[in-house]
Amino acid sequence: MKKIGIYPGCCFQGADIHNYDITTDFLNRMGVEGILLERAACCGGGVIDETNKKIVYGLNARNIALAEEKGVDLYTPCNTCYMIIAKTKLALDSDPGLKEKINEILAEEGLEYKGTAKIYHTLNLIRDFIGMDTYKSKIQRKFEGVKVAPYYGCHVLAPNEVALDDPENPTVLQEILKPLGVEVVEGYQNEQTCCGYHARFTDPEQKERLAIKPLEGAKEAGANVVATPCPLCHKAMDGYEEPILQVTQLINVACGATPKDAFWDLNKTEIKISFS
Amino acid sequence: MKKIKYVTKVKRYNPETKESYWQDFEVEVEDSLTVLELLMYIKDKIDATLTFRAFCRSAICGSCAMIINGRAGLACKIQAKDKIKNGVIKIEPLHHLPVVKDLVVDQEPAFEKFKKVKPYLIPDSKVVPDNNKVESLVLPEEFARYDKQTDCILCMACYGQCNALEGDEKYLGPFQLTKVFRFIMDTRDGMDVEERIKLAEDHGIWECVQCQMCLAACPKGVKPGDDILELRRIAKDTGKENIATRRAKFWFATVFETGQIDKWHLPEVAFGDEKGEAITEKLEIEFKNRGMKEEEFGPKPFPGIEKFRNFIKKLEKEL
Repeated sequence: MKKIGIYPGCCFQGADIHNYDITTDFLNRMGVEGILLERAACCGGGVIDETNKKIVYGLNARNIALAEEKGVDLYTPCNTCYMIIAKTKLALDSDPGLKEKINEILAEEGLEYKGTAKIYHTLNLIRDFIGMDTYKSKIQRKFEGVKVAPYYGCHVLAPNEVALDDPENPTVLQEILKPLGVEVVEGYQNEQTCCGYHARFTDPEQKERLAIKPLEGAKEAGANVVATPCPLCHKAMDGYEEPILQVTQLINVACGATPKDAFWDLNKTEIKISFS
Repeated sequence: MKKIKYVTKVKRYNPETKESYWQDFEVEVEDSLTVLELLMYIKDKIDATLTFRAFCRSAICGSCAMIINGRAGLACKIQAKDKIKNGVIKIEPLHHLPVVKDLVVDQEPAFEKFKKVKPYLIPDSKVVPDNNKVESLVLPEEFARYDKQTDCILCMACYGQCNALEGDEKYLGPFQLTKVFRFIMDTRDGMDVEERIKLAEDHGIWECVQCQMCLAACPKGVKPGDDILELRRIAKDTGKENIATRRAKFWFATVFETGQIDKWHLPEVAFGDEKGEAITEKLEIEFKNRGMKEEEFGPKPFPGIEKFRNFIKKLEKEL
């Protein structure tokens, strides 16, 4: 059985604790053993930089080192964790001096950043680690006739050096949605507009103004539901008229879970779609 | 030279009829063209009315920023053949600026915002000599603090791709804020840091959503989004207190204590008022209703947390 290190970010915590169950259920259904990286710490969330940006490199070198210690790659479902951890990996792999300095400090915890672990997010995990054929083989039922609007979120497509697909013409999410039997709604208004999540505690009104835009675009294009890989986008955009789910919540149900097992019932905006 | 055939889809605007529309140009051209050369070819051979702004053709004047396949960049710096997706290249004017004609935007609104942040050196009389016979020295290590930021050519690619502007058209904009950071870092600048920060705050640093699009857009590798985080840090460290600085302090403190951000208490601490308390209380009710145990409400320190705290302290000191 393939193994992957599950990186626990804040999207597995408090009101979002069920995201951990969604993630482990998804991995189980894909035939992947998830190994929780227990001593992992916050990626910094783009906020620790406001205290000291160098700490962010250290935190994530340590997070990756925890995966390497267990001999596994690192997987996070969160767009922001993915972007920040992948950025750290790029910085360390291209700057031997920085890597050496951080490794000196890491040694006191008995850890070492080697640079061997790959960084995965749900989208490239399915495409490159699980494999599209295996993924498709796990799907037991389909959402026939359901119109789904893919919403990538920003941090899997920008900045360019960590983008996990062609940022100008991404297709990986559509390719993941299609085998679920859905009708993919593409090219809707504001499909690339940010959900505003990261303004929640800097300018809450800015978040409100942004979150609704892609949802309105998707609704106008006739989508029954928006599907995002990112738990933060989901959190920011749930609660408006147009419903949104995490793509793993759709996948788990397509692979046999009940909607309740996939925590559809915790959505603020009710999900009303049918499946065979 | 190899010729290739593809469709150039251009978003056009006719100011006389106020009509906006997409037009397809089928071309068969050398595969070595830049996007700008492609537009020049179309203007020369197919439609002389096609309007765009360009000058140096060397990615330095900053005139030809536009949206190519949904991403902002300089037309003269980008190879057309790399941008053909399913036989098509899509070209539009920059977002968030009024279109004058076709791909030409009116840059004035962005320049007006630029002027607001005083994007020039206000000499510090203690540092800058009062005559022009003596050099105003800047040491290499001092210049290194804002070297990259001086590469900005004001092309407005970052502005044309900015998500914060999508939410608020009054938002200052990425390159404007990079300029504020650049002058705060300049050892010769005499303007109070607090004053510069104040200019950056009005429809500024707190509205940024950290989407990273400005980093992706900049043809010079400037990172306005990162500079905005630095400006927020400086605002916090110079005593500014608001929802965002309270959140940043709490974030770091709880990560230091437990390894994770405490999202349970974050609303009441960040908002710092009854509204925030109400959000945290509402969370508690939700947790209880969901049958969660109290230890699941917020993060708990993991085993060996002392070593982790030492690690953070050492990073702060030694990195």
